[in-house]
Amino acid sequence: MTASPAGSAPAQATRPRLSPLTWLAAAGSTAVITTAAASWPLSAAVVAACLGLSLAGGTARRVLPASAAVLVPLGLSLLVLHGLFFPEGRTVLAAWGPARITAEGLDFTGQRILLLAAVVMVLLLFSFTVSLPDLVAALSARGVQGRFAFVLASTLTLLPAIAERARRIREAQEARGLVVSRGLLSRAAAFRLQAVPLVLSLIEDAGTRAAALEARGLSSPGPRTSYREVPDSGVQRTARVVLVLAALAAVVLRLVQAGAGC
Amino acid sequence: MVTGGPLKPGSNSNASNASDGAAPVLAAGIRNFTFHEGRAPALRDVAVSFPPGSFTAILGASGSGKSTLGRLLAGWLPPGGHGTLAGFLELSGTRLEFDGGPGDPRTNPAEWGRQVGFVPQDPATVLSTVRATVAEELAFGLENAGVERGDMMAAVDGTARLLGLHHKLGQDPAQLSGGQLRRLAIGCAIIAGPPVLVMDEPFASLDAAGIEELAALVRDLLKRGTAVVILSQTVDPLLREAGTWAVLSEGTVTASGPPAAMQSGVLPPAVRRVDRHEPATSAEPLPPQPIKQPVGSPVLELRGVSFAYPEGPVRGRRKRRSGRAGELSRRSLVLQDVDLAIHPGEIVAVTGPNGAGKSTLLRHLNGLLRPVSGSVAVHGADIAGAPAGRTAASVGLLFQQPRDQLFERTVLREVRFGLDRLVGPALAENRAAAALQAVGLAAAAEEHPAELSSSAQRLLALATVLARRPAVLALDEPTVALDGDGLALLDAAVRSAAAEGAAVVLVTHDLGYARSAAHRIVSLDGGRLVPA
Repeated sequence: MTASPAGSAPAQATRPRLSPLTWLAAAGSTAVITTAAASWPLSAAVVAACLGLSLAGGTARRVLPASAAVLVPLGLSLLVLHGLFFPEGRTVLAAWGPARITAEGLDFTGQRILLLAAVVMVLLLFSFTVSLPDLVAALSARGVQGRFAFVLASTLTLLPAIAERARRIREAQEARGLVVSRGLLSRAAAFRLQAVPLVLSLIEDAGTRAAALEARGLSSPGPRTSYREVPDSGVQRTARVVLVLAALAAVVLRLVQAGAGC
Repeated sequence: MVTGGPLKPGSNSNASNASDGAAPVLAAGIRNFTFHEGRAPALRDVAVSFPPGSFTAILGASGSGKSTLGRLLAGWLPPGGHGTLAGFLELSGTRLEFDGGPGDPRTNPAEWGRQVGFVPQDPATVLSTVRATVAEELAFGLENAGVERGDMMAAVDGTARLLGLHHKLGQDPAQLSGGQLRRLAIGCAIIAGPPVLVMDEPFASLDAAGIEELAALVRDLLKRGTAVVILSQTVDPLLREAGTWAVLSEGTVTASGPPAAMQSGVLPPAVRRVDRHEPATSAEPLPPQPIKQPVGSPVLELRGVSFAYPEGPVRGRRKRRSGRAGELSRRSLVLQDVDLAIHPGEIVAVTGPNGAGKSTLLRHLNGLLRPVSGSVAVHGADIAGAPAGRTAASVGLLFQQPRDQLFERTVLREVRFGLDRLVGPALAENRAAAALQAVGLAAAAEEHPAELSSSAQRLLALATVLARRPAVLALDEPTVALDGDGLALLDAAVRSAAAEGAAVVLVTHDLGYARSAAHRIVSLDGGRLVPA
């Protein structure tokens, strides 16, 4: 157990926090602008910024593996699709029958992967950095339905909760002689044993929890209040408006350019 | 007022509450209630009514239908949802009649919840899972009702003080101990001041101080006019203050009346009486058999064990209780320089208040948690390098929550998990059968563990440990959720394992049981182990 500040006031972070909505606006508009601009220097800059921020914020150990899990398979499939079969490719570097590696194909693939990396990393950085309770409180305070805010929060708490449950089942199995070593194969084999009980227990759990949530008024219509105080300021509100406008402008600009190009 | 079989007037006793005469705030007349998947009714001929300020105890063995009744009364089991009700429910003067057909009225769980607070048997199911601190969890229901922030702060503070949780307000609810979690669940149920409070097995996993606080809380609520209903399989001293006892057996009320009129033999043997200063067994407890002066080397030895949970990676997220040592601060040590040696045949009880680190200590015995300093030796060999699954051959661990330990499709498969590898299929079959026999579950071998009563689940978890015949039996709060019959089975199993040479470590807040069962009692307080 960790010590917590004594006294009746709940432990709020002591350093000034950014509003989760500001985080959301920043991450969302960065993703939109990067996609709309589709320029590799911008994508590279965003990737670098994400790396820097996650290292500074101490979330790199979670952001990087998660990004890799998404980007490696996607990147490989892009490479096969565009790297080998790029119709506009002229500079052939190697060819096996219908498959040709062209410089243009590689260039295009590289840009796509970089763009994808920028968007994925921005969103992952956001989800690992934002204070979830703050986000739910901020959304509730703005009239977002309790059920919706709960579902949103659950999508982010779901993975840790499932991991926690899987850990408990694994411990129960280890306590009865299941040997799990550090090897990947051993872990995979152990997980196969945990999958069925995990799903069954999650379903059972969901049933009872639903009754508790309903009884505590989760689906109640009408206004809600928030116990948690979410930091916000005029500067942040302005910044959010600017960010959203910038994202909109980027999309419009892109559409106009595409229209002009036709 | 509680009557059995109101629909057959005169067939049962009819007792009055002290505050009888006032209009009941909550009442139910259940001709029958049948789960959709059930063949027989879970409840039949039950009539209950609770006037303001009344105190009612509904007593029954595990599996008697208490929890179903409690959930129906609390609106957690809306008729039509999971089962069909024939009868009526009445809340604050509004009566809803049900006949199990499509024309039945629908209840609104949120409105019902404002009138009837409910604390389920497993307090963890109350948690919203999306609130970062105890304070926010307490406030969850108030937020949904749109209560002003200032009022919310006052209510949270007042409720936390009432339950002894005021120093835990900033903590992640997922990190609370079993007893603290129950207090939080009670807090969530009473914070909005409902006129009725229904609690299912509230005494389970509370330490002595917690039960005293619960008693004080109940008295306070009664004074304010709250109707309090406690469903229990143990007769705690607090329940002697109840105006009415109703005995539930096989889904129906077999007797009811004021406690004074109910002393002689109307309680089923499985309902045990608990005197907090006496041993908790319903059978006459034998004093622990004298143990010979320990000879030879201890089977289990802890030397200078210290432990702290790693700090969480990001604020607001669940912290992983992993054994990997992270960055530690001295002040977060859960265990400090713990020394303990246990010899074959010895039963040692570890007691201590809720949250003292008792469960954490037990998880060190088979290597599920690893000490940050010090060592754990089984049969003289340090277990530091061995996977927990290998140490499990010598150390059997019964977890505090049986649901954490049960994951198979049938009772028999549950007991046989991992047994084949340990002793071979032929012997495994015998061992499994013998273990199920020892805990009285031989007839339930093909049932699904999740469908057993909580007492039977606990016994099944115990059977999974017994079947492996480990040299060390480590039991985490083994008496919690057991009814009287279950406790007698547990007691017999523990004694017989010790007689066969197993070393037994049992962690319990039930001092009465510890005194009756153990050769030696040690207490864990502030992370240090001291003789009790």
